[in-house]
Amino acid sequence: MIDSVLFIALPYLAIFVCVFGSIYRIRRQPITYSSLSSQFLENQGLLWGSVPWHIGILLILLGHFIAFLMPSLWQGAMSHAVVLAGVESLGLGLAIVCTVGLVVLGVRRITSARIQAVTSGMDLIVLLLLLAQVGLGLATAVMYRSGALWCSATTTPYVWSIVSFHPDMSFVQDMPVIIKGHIVGAWLLILLTPFSRLIHMFAVPFQYLFRPPQQVVWTDPRRQEAAVETLSEEESRRHFLKASVGISSGLLLLGIGVTDKLARFFFGPRLSQKEEAELMQFRLDRLKLTAEQKQLELERQESPYILVGELADLSPDEGKYFIDYAMLPAMAFKGEDGLPLLLSAKCTHLGCTVGNKVDDKGKILCPCHLSYFDIKSGEPNPNSPAKLPLPHIGWVLMDTRGNVLVSRTASGQTKGSADQAALAGARVYIAKSLAEETT
Amino acid sequence: MDIRAQVSMVFHLDKCIGCHTCSVACKNTWTDRPGAEYMWWNNVETKPGTGFPTLWEDQEHYKGGWKLNEKSRKLELRSQGKVDAFLKLFYNPNQPGLEDYYEPWTYKYADLFDAPEGDDQPTAIPVSQITGEPVEIKAGPNWDDDLSGSTIYAENDINLDELSEDEREQLFEIERVSMMYLPRICNHCANPSCVAACPSGAIYKRGEDGIVLINQDVCKGWRACVSACPYKKIYYNWKTGKSEKCILCYPKLETGQPPNCFQSCVGRIRYLGVLLFDADRVPDAMTVPDHALVESQRSVILDPFDPHIIELARANGISDEFIYAAQRSPVYKYVMKWKIALPLHVEYRTMPMLFYVPPLLPVMGKLDNGTYDNEVDGFFASLDKSRLPIKYLARLFSAGNEEILESVIKKLMAVRYYKRSMEIEDLDLVLISRMMREGNVTPQEAEEIYALTALPTVDERFVLPPLQREEAMSSPNLDPETCRGCSGFGCHDAPARGA
Repeated sequence: MIDSVLFIALPYLAIFVCVFGSIYRIRRQPITYSSLSSQFLENQGLLWGSVPWHIGILLILLGHFIAFLMPSLWQGAMSHAVVLAGVESLGLGLAIVCTVGLVVLGVRRITSARIQAVTSGMDLIVLLLLLAQVGLGLATAVMYRSGALWCSATTTPYVWSIVSFHPDMSFVQDMPVIIKGHIVGAWLLILLTPFSRLIHMFAVPFQYLFRPPQQVVWTDPRRQEAAVETLSEEESRRHFLKASVGISSGLLLLGIGVTDKLARFFFGPRLSQKEEAELMQFRLDRLKLTAEQKQLELERQESPYILVGELADLSPDEGKYFIDYAMLPAMAFKGEDGLPLLLSAKCTHLGCTVGNKVDDKGKILCPCHLSYFDIKSGEPNPNSPAKLPLPHIGWVLMDTRGNVLVSRTASGQTKGSADQAALAGARVYIAKSLAEETT
Repeated sequence: MDIRAQVSMVFHLDKCIGCHTCSVACKNTWTDRPGAEYMWWNNVETKPGTGFPTLWEDQEHYKGGWKLNEKSRKLELRSQGKVDAFLKLFYNPNQPGLEDYYEPWTYKYADLFDAPEGDDQPTAIPVSQITGEPVEIKAGPNWDDDLSGSTIYAENDINLDELSEDEREQLFEIERVSMMYLPRICNHCANPSCVAACPSGAIYKRGEDGIVLINQDVCKGWRACVSACPYKKIYYNWKTGKSEKCILCYPKLETGQPPNCFQSCVGRIRYLGVLLFDADRVPDAMTVPDHALVESQRSVILDPFDPHIIELARANGISDEFIYAAQRSPVYKYVMKWKIALPLHVEYRTMPMLFYVPPLLPVMGKLDNGTYDNEVDGFFASLDKSRLPIKYLARLFSAGNEEILESVIKKLMAVRYYKRSMEIEDLDLVLISRMMREGNVTPQEAEEIYALTALPTVDERFVLPPLQREEAMSSPNLDPETCRGCSGFGCHDAPARGA
């Protein structure tokens, strides 16, 4: 419940309040729409606080945004160990720079009497919240390494699920408390934006880059209209210029690309006859290999029994992986009754292979999104992302001469029995008949 | 040709007695609010001196105004250009801090009444108007007044940098140090660097009268204008987080009254009138070498009697009343007709529209054996050994061009000796006529200069154009009375800051 409030209700509240609150404040109280600068009152502390803080936080936010907006690109880049290490250490360094800046700003705000004269309660709240947020981010970077990588399967799809109006908190629900705190902190900061100095984020003066140096305003409404008209004429000319530059550079790139492809097609490097023959041979070999494998697979599926392993090799704590009739991963444990316990290893959430180590509660963990499954019943934990139980698989126990000793169907009906002595050298099989029964 | 009208000003420095009445009149009206206590939209400085804020003329430090790009022959902001502004967004190294002005203070007057009975007299200790805590007063807005009995202010004037050791010694000789007063308000420049530097586009020049204003609703408090204004006449309000500046009392102008500092001037040194200028030529005119800047600025100002100009001005929407005011303008007479009023620090290339008639007294007078004397012998020769070196005045008023300054001084002296010979008849008329020839002034012109300098009526000093009050009323955000004492101007809601 508390999770749905924090990870679904809070984000929507925060985004709604931020968007409409900021628009209201910017339009109705334009005079308050900026940060209250205190450089005039105190100079040196601001230099060592404001500059590191702003540069650090801007680059870190840029990283967050790229990871969010271009997840596949980001994931691709992060799959190189060097890039990942670089991004990780850069992020860590920037987070430290940010923290230093924030601490300097905080100390300055608290110790300078002049700054206190222009400090509001909200300033302090925002400062503390930012400090906590950067601290949590720093802790995440230190304690849960490779965040740039694991975000692709957790936080990124979570934020996408929020902005695409299909909220799914299962991506982040089972994450450690520190990461959850960092996420909640972000929503709180967004929520506070229209009520605090954070609104100055929207006041970046990009229009300065494009405006003419001098501005003349006429008190006479008619003159003003005429002046604005000339100005907008100028503006449309500028827009036209910018658009044509954009379009022509786009066309240029396209042209270069097309010419390049055409040139390669007609004049590019050619294979010699020998190389071509080698290539064909290589392809043929690969096809043969694939055909063989397919053949083996079919034979396997046709055979009445597939060996899982010796009964004696099975353990109650660590499952033995094997491939079942449907060519899917499964695993075998030794049950409490000394008989095998076979169940599918394909997570019912998104199909990852479930881990084979049994914890002290008799559960196994899917590492992808932290679903826990009970091995006896196959049921997942109630708040796991996976909702369906892992299905059991029927088995047959045979002695070395091929006599069936015991068998059990997927639904748990046991046939036959054997004493301990007989079971000693028994082997576990899965049977085609039992597999067909389930399907 | 884009002819526009500019309400511009002349300050006659020979008449300034440095009484600060103008500063107080301005302060009581506009800047007695929290956050604005330290601002002096109008201040009076003693020159040579460091001024307010301290050393405001040091553009190596504050980086205000325009500089000429030698290669492209185009003007560039000395700082706060498009790229520079973004580099300095989080911290601006060229911005003056409170230390460069002074910490505003008041006194705990209530202590005089509330103190318990005791052996000592109760006192009212000074407290900071920012923190409310007791402060040790170290500086004030005019602590260099009359050089404060110290040589430190005069010696640090950066306009003296080019003077030789001898000239400096001559200037600072104990008990003989010579000085003048320099009242300063916003120049309402024709090529304002504050407007060009504002990242938010909040500063603008009014089309009708050329007054430069800051829209408080648009201002985001980046403070680029504070650095960019070479005259440091834009102040940052630490309470509202917005910048403020002299508004030339436009609410008064629009009701036909002169601004407060003009009206209250005891020495009647201030003149107000309309100039017509060609707005299209302004940026180009400011790209000439330093020594030609004064002439170049004069060339932009147009003759309001020229029928061709009148026709073009009418076509550009300037009313006949405005043109009539421009024809009677005392500013036009001083600046263009007699050419004896010069802009302050025109080398900042903002084309200031406030002109100064340089002071004559510190140039002419000299002390001889303890008695003050202004001898006529070797009349123009005294220019060479004037107590306030011509070089220094040229740095202030003609971007270092001593020729222009000398011609102004000669004219002023010729007028003075001409009138003296008329009244007292103690001077040789041949000598006087030679002087007038060298000073380039006719007896008729001398009489006119004398009349407007010494005997002007209020209506001659302030020739106010009829600003279209009805039109002004219909435009939004022009209701200064509503917010008087709470926020500044041009906004209807008091800025509840701190959020």
